[in-house]
Amino acid sequence: MRGHWPALVVFGLAALAPFFVRDAFLLDSLILILIWGTLSAAWNVAGGYAGQVSLGHSAFFGIGAYSAALLATRWDLSPWLGLMVGALLSTGAGLIIGYLSNRLRGPYFVLATIALSQVLLIVASRWRGFTEGSEGIPVPFRPGFWTLGFADKATWVYIGLGAALVLYLIQRHLEGSRTGHQLAAIREDEDAAQSLGIASRRLKVMAVAGSAALASVCGTLWAQYVGFVDPFYVFSVDLSVRFALGAIIGGTGTALGPFLGSFLITTLETYLRATFAGIGAGLVGIYLIIYGLLLIAVVRFVPQGLAGWVRDFARRR
Amino acid sequence: MIFLSVAGITKRFGGVVANRNISFDVAAGELVGIIGPNGAGKSTLFEVITGFYRPETGEVRLQGQRLTGLSPDRVSRQGVARTFQKLRPFQGMTVLGNVTVGALQKSHDVKQARKEAQEILERVGLADKADAYARTLSTGQRKRLELARALATRPRLLLLDEVTGGVDQGSIPGLVSLVQDLHRAGITLLVIEHNMRVITAVAQRIVALYLGEVIADGPTEAVTRDRRVVEAYLGQAYAER
Repeated sequence: MRGHWPALVVFGLAALAPFFVRDAFLLDSLILILIWGTLSAAWNVAGGYAGQVSLGHSAFFGIGAYSAALLATRWDLSPWLGLMVGALLSTGAGLIIGYLSNRLRGPYFVLATIALSQVLLIVASRWRGFTEGSEGIPVPFRPGFWTLGFADKATWVYIGLGAALVLYLIQRHLEGSRTGHQLAAIREDEDAAQSLGIASRRLKVMAVAGSAALASVCGTLWAQYVGFVDPFYVFSVDLSVRFALGAIIGGTGTALGPFLGSFLITTLETYLRATFAGIGAGLVGIYLIIYGLLLIAVVRFVPQGLAGWVRDFARRR
Repeated sequence: MIFLSVAGITKRFGGVVANRNISFDVAAGELVGIIGPNGAGKSTLFEVITGFYRPETGEVRLQGQRLTGLSPDRVSRQGVARTFQKLRPFQGMTVLGNVTVGALQKSHDVKQARKEAQEILERVGLADKADAYARTLSTGQRKRLELARALATRPRLLLLDEVTGGVDQGSIPGLVSLVQDLHRAGITLLVIEHNMRVITAVAQRIVALYLGEVIADGPTEAVTRDRRVVEAYLGQAYAER
């Protein structure tokens, strides 16, 4: 269990929360922290460990959300099936984007990922006959495990926690494994990595496709929890930035970082919005300005990310 | 069988011919120096051999196996390792991590690879730096690190691009004896070198390039006295003396 204790503390606290916290608002925040954290972790697989920075991960999130919602509303199929269909579709989209990463490096790759999410946004918002277009789809709520319908927030805490743990363990495995070392080498210097016999093209594609599939699964879970899929939200660049930001603030290429980053971002955002909710109409947006400034401060003063900061702190003692 | 055969390699960049019909063979266990003034095509030749560049004509074979047309990672897996002229360590990794990545080509177990990496670090004299980040090393140490990383892939053929270039005078003898050690251990080496004192100390044979062509190929003694080589390096005036 060496090196796992910070994660034990973080996930342990989340697991205990439903026993002590009854407030629906706080539990809702916790569930979102876990889901967004898991998404940042999925982003981290490609962006952090393999260095393939994407600002289009909302594409995969949206595919996951839509797959389950459409299968349930159109054909009355289980969201678990939708989850798998979404993951498969996202793997396919991830393979295409991953293939592009071999043609386009750096900023050009980032632009390609944004383009993918925007193309999907247009498809989802215009294909009215199938997706209901820009009106979005209400996800039918049918209680039960097979239909992923839980009215109880505590259950959702544990679903979010389960997803978070899976992603945490995947990342930890990456850190210690042969593949993880090879991905890190690609991230640091792809030519040098190739000169050591690493099949960088294949590995990058695998990392991006895997990351896409994981993001898609989170998209399905999120849609089932929230109960509504809006194309302008699920395929938005804002959301993609959020996934990246969580990992960057928490510490790219660290297993716990995305969850710490998500905690900070989500609580800050929620707290500021609530605090400034009653302010005059002219100042409605002020919470976003403060939010932005605080994030700049974090990046300025903790450039290695929260996970690195926690690690350094633990070492200093 | 010829160990390494370079046959009729031509590589162009637009109108510039960086390598023109370059051919030479290398026997197993040989240490061959590649010399030539700046722009002679030495590094381009290395890029062609290691698969980073595709030549317009010609082919490279290692023990009969064609390397030309393979991607760099596959060339590496055929047993060809290299260092880069402009050093490219994995900056954000530790010294041990860098070498472990190399060792992971042949060993699939991370623990085993790390053990091998540790042994190689001892061999190149970097063991005390194992836990330091690569970006904190001096140039001489980085050269050793690149060498260690390449060695960790357990190559049959090792290509060294200016091992002593940009290194302080005091570190040169250590690097030279390291190269000699590798040669004695049975690795076949191709060594690009600018420092003539270094190349005459390590190589039995030299291939001299000038403007993309081979102008001399033979025993070190003969090539360093070759009129055309002296001309290429120092200009005609010196050769006439």
